[in-house]
Amino acid sequence: MDSDQELIELVNQGNPDAFEVLYRRYRDWVYRLAWRFTGNEQDALDVLQETFTYLLGKFPGFELTASMTTFLYPVVKHLSIAVRNKSRRFTSDEEILGEIAAPALKDAQGNRKELAAALTVLPDEQREVLLMRFVDDTTLQEIAKALNIPIGTVKSRLHHALKRLRHDRRTQDYFLE
Amino acid sequence: MTNKNRHFDEDLDLKVSPKLSEDLNTLFKQQFSVPPEVDRAIIDKAHQHLIPKHWRHRIFHHISLWRVAAAAAVIIFAFSLNLTQEPGPRTSRTVLVKAQAVDIDENGRVDILDAFKLARHIESAESTKTKLSPVLSTGQALVKQGWDINGDGLVDRNDVDLVALSAVRLDKNKGVL
Repeated sequence: MDSDQELIELVNQGNPDAFEVLYRRYRDWVYRLAWRFTGNEQDALDVLQETFTYLLGKFPGFELTASMTTFLYPVVKHLSIAVRNKSRRFTSDEEILGEIAAPALKDAQGNRKELAAALTVLPDEQREVLLMRFVDDTTLQEIAKALNIPIGTVKSRLHHALKRLRHDRRTQDYFLE
Repeated sequence: MTNKNRHFDEDLDLKVSPKLSEDLNTLFKQQFSVPPEVDRAIIDKAHQHLIPKHWRHRIFHHISLWRVAAAAAVIIFAFSLNLTQEPGPRTSRTVLVKAQAVDIDENGRVDILDAFKLARHIESAESTKTKLSPVLSTGQALVKQGWDINGDGLVDRNDVDLVALSAVRLDKNKGVL
């Protein structure tokens, strides 16, 4: 399988099939992330299209200096915020979080429900880093690049997020003694 | 790396149970399916964007040349058919022009009297219930071959009309047999 860099080189040469491979490789990740930001399926689909249209606009001449997810993350985030503002949905992050987790919570047993509840009280920037790290499997370095913040700040946010969860009675079981 | 950051690393690496990651993934990594029409729209856009304009122009030019060549071939073929085929059905006026006017009374001229004579022959045949056919009547004195002016297999009023019309419209030179 071609690496992202190889595919990008092919797309730069005008190969649309290489772009399709890239699209299929990151489509679900982008869609899931957009849905996490917008809390709405239709808005997430709009963001998905706009994200790849933006990426397409970078060709020819696109150079990837980090991982693809690091490049795409801020694009998805900004487009999601724009779509949310455009659709005039004044939904709070907590409401979105509740909406996203709702289907999983239907059959969830105690711990997961309490985890979802505990996440809603985390500050946005801490929750964002926590989800990037544990849901998207993004490295701390990549998070720093994607959010354009120093790695120390990433560690700090993650540390405080975990500390809160650890001290929260509902989620302390997730931490080792 | 500062001591503070090292402290964060220890927190991140050692004290979080894998269960946290599992449950976060259950909450946020639900299965999605992007509608195929969204895929199609993005991939089509990639094709439009990435195929260079000069290539598109060349392809268009190539297709145009083929179209022109095909159209020319069709026209030439149609003309060749027209030249080799028998003339199609004509109007009675055209038949009139092409038909040799018949000198019914054999006086060397085609005039209205020929029409009268033919009409009389037909009337007398009708009164005796004889069907006038140039083929059947070849041996009969009443009808001569060639009186079927319009070539419909019958000698009738239509032939009279044609003789009358030719007597009126044709000049004497053309009418003379």
